Amino acid sequence: MGYEMWTEKYRPRTLDEIVDQEEIVSRLKSFVEARNVPHCIFAGPPGTGKTTAALCLAHDLYGENYREYIMELNASDERGINVVRETVKTFARTKPMGEITFKILILDEADNMTDDAQQALRRTMERYTETARFILIANYSGKIIEPIQSRCAPFRFTYLPRESVIERIKYICEKENVEILDDGIEAILEISEGDLRRTINILQTAASVGKPISAEIVYSVVGRANPHDVREMMLTALNGDFLAARDKLRDLIQKYGLSGADIIRQIHNEIFRLNVPDKWKVKLADIAGEVDYRLVQGANEEIQLSALLAKLVEAGYEIKRGL
Amino acid sequence: MAHRITHIPWAQKYKPKSLTEVIGNKEAKERILNWIRLWNRGVPEKRALFIYGPPGVGKTVTIEALANDLNMELIESDASSYRTASAVKRLAGRASQYGSLFGRRKLILFDELDGVTGSADTGGLREITELIKISRVPIVLIANNAYDPRFTQLRKLCLLVEFKKPSRTEIMRHLAKICAREGIEAEKDALRFIAERSGGDVRSAINDLQALAQGKTKLTYEDVSWLARRDRKEEIFNVLRRIFYARDSSTAKAAVNMADVDLDMLFEWIYENIPYHIKKPSELAAAMDMLSKADVYRGRVKKTQDWSFIRYVIDLMTAGVASSWSRKSPGWVPFRFPGRIKMASSSKGEREMLTEIGKRIGRKCHISSSRAIKEVLPYIRIMFQTNPKMAKGIAKWLNLSNEMVAYISGGEIKR
Repeated sequence: MGYEMWTEKYRPRTLDEIVDQEEIVSRLKSFVEARNVPHCIFAGPPGTGKTTAALCLAHDLYGENYREYIMELNASDERGINVVRETVKTFARTKPMGEITFKILILDEADNMTDDAQQALRRTMERYTETARFILIANYSGKIIEPIQSRCAPFRFTYLPRESVIERIKYICEKENVEILDDGIEAILEISEGDLRRTINILQTAASVGKPISAEIVYSVVGRANPHDVREMMLTALNGDFLAARDKLRDLIQKYGLSGADIIRQIHNEIFRLNVPDKWKVKLADIAGEVDYRLVQGANEEIQLSALLAKLVEAGYEIKRGL
Repeated sequence: MAHRITHIPWAQKYKPKSLTEVIGNKEAKERILNWIRLWNRGVPEKRALFIYGPPGVGKTVTIEALANDLNMELIESDASSYRTASAVKRLAGRASQYGSLFGRRKLILFDELDGVTGSADTGGLREITELIKISRVPIVLIANNAYDPRFTQLRKLCLLVEFKKPSRTEIMRHLAKICAREGIEAEKDALRFIAERSGGDVRSAINDLQALAQGKTKLTYEDVSWLARRDRKEEIFNVLRRIFYARDSSTAKAAVNMADVDLDMLFEWIYENIPYHIKKPSELAAAMDMLSKADVYRGRVKKTQDWSFIRYVIDLMTAGVASSWSRKSPGWVPFRFPGRIKMASSSKGEREMLTEIGKRIGRKCHISSSRAIKEVLPYIRIMFQTNPKMAKGIAKWLNLSNEMVAYISGGEIKR
């Protein structure tokens, strides 16, 4: 019995095992009973059980060998039209053996698909609806084109209640024979912000570092995985050191893999916490908005963010001079 | 806030001050010394020395070091001065003043003779020829190619000395000395590579070394090996200097046509170097603003595939950046290689491995490889670093190779 990621070890395998999301679970159970599943969109924030629900549904529907009847695709890894055309079609057109007459395609991060790919997907969904049902998983259902939305049953996943998360943490700790202090639990809750996958990853990492798990251990773990360097980077720039700030930016992007969108969002959060005059807060917020927009339009992350850092340097300089 | 560092080109800082410090060309140096000694006993038959050879091998530096060694006053004229007949006469006039202030003997140097152009300067060549005939002071001429037809008359009056390219080993040794003085620990392979690349041009090798190593404490082979790609550094330095220090916006714009430079590459060079040259906060912000606007257009070109937008990219990244600041720097500032490219290309193998690791995690954890790298790998990395037993188990579960495990545990993206 070696080690594995606890996110997988403790992932529910049947609909019964899923705690919370009662409404969703009961609807899915009715699909299983009816032996029929419509196309679905599972939408909601990360770490709220969307993939789990899809896999459990498949498991309950097809039994132990459910993996033979499903296909998991991730739009991030395979984004273009060609993937839809080839892979999905090949999967969709063959009829499965056994009682259930259709297979299930789980398409994760569907909101990352280009519009063209989504159009192609819609046509595929229509043509092969007899032999294939689609479960689209997304953070924002709004990013999925209308024609697809109208063909799918919508499922809204929400953050799990605090108590459920705490229970889950305690459950896993018991099974793994790991002691955790109350302040450790609090720290994990605070940092994971409702994302259960992140919760369990932090938990497992903290457990590998030391026991009993305290808030201090949790923060140290998170410090290494998610450095709150965005604030530090901004302060460095405000203090006038562009080169050092730019180096930090590069670290964030290259070493820690933060995306431009991640960074600009954090920058935006931090702007109003900076110790600068209001007029500068507003200026900077305006610039942040412009950067965010440009990123969406396809501009280069580092260049745009660097320009913002340069503006911060200028701001710091002018503020010191009393402007 | 930023402190003032006066940058000196290493080629200047470590310029040989004595003949013994000049690398290579032992025989040539001896011949020159012997010829100079002839002047101790009167005027020799050949009153002028004509030194020739490829660029950067030490021709000028040798004469300057020689003058220093023998405490001679060097009167020089190079490509930046006019070589009209009158200018040569004036120089000759200076040289012939008897009894210089310190009683030092004089040495006349006409450097970069290949640069003599057009009719204006050819009058100068004739004048130099006349000067040699009557000079009572040693004259040295330097050019890349002594057998240029323009120099036919000149050659007859001169002792020709050829300078050859120093060996790679000699260059390496010199680079190693500089590294030691700069407190940089350099891998032998790195120095060998730079020496190799330079093709015998010592000046170029030192410039490369400076661009790559300045500010670092360690120079590895990986740092320099990416130079193997399109290596147009000389040209790019010129283009950059044109852009950053342009007289006006048209000159900055024209810089792009100067050399066969990839636009995206040039963009990276400009981006990397802006903060080293433009220090004033308002100017820095303005220049970066221009560059960011150029980048927006770059994105538009890619998205629309409409290449006519490129003109705006060029305008903004050249003229736009140039006009953002005063174009005056406190001193000579070297240009640096773009850090981003270095990292990207040197870790290409690593990036591929990273993606593969991401895929394996993603498959087991039901997420995309990019999310796996961003959201799960950092935790796995910590587990690997703190708990080898766990590392082994998870590595097995994920089906990771030993190389991948080492990479994950190592953590840093190697530079």
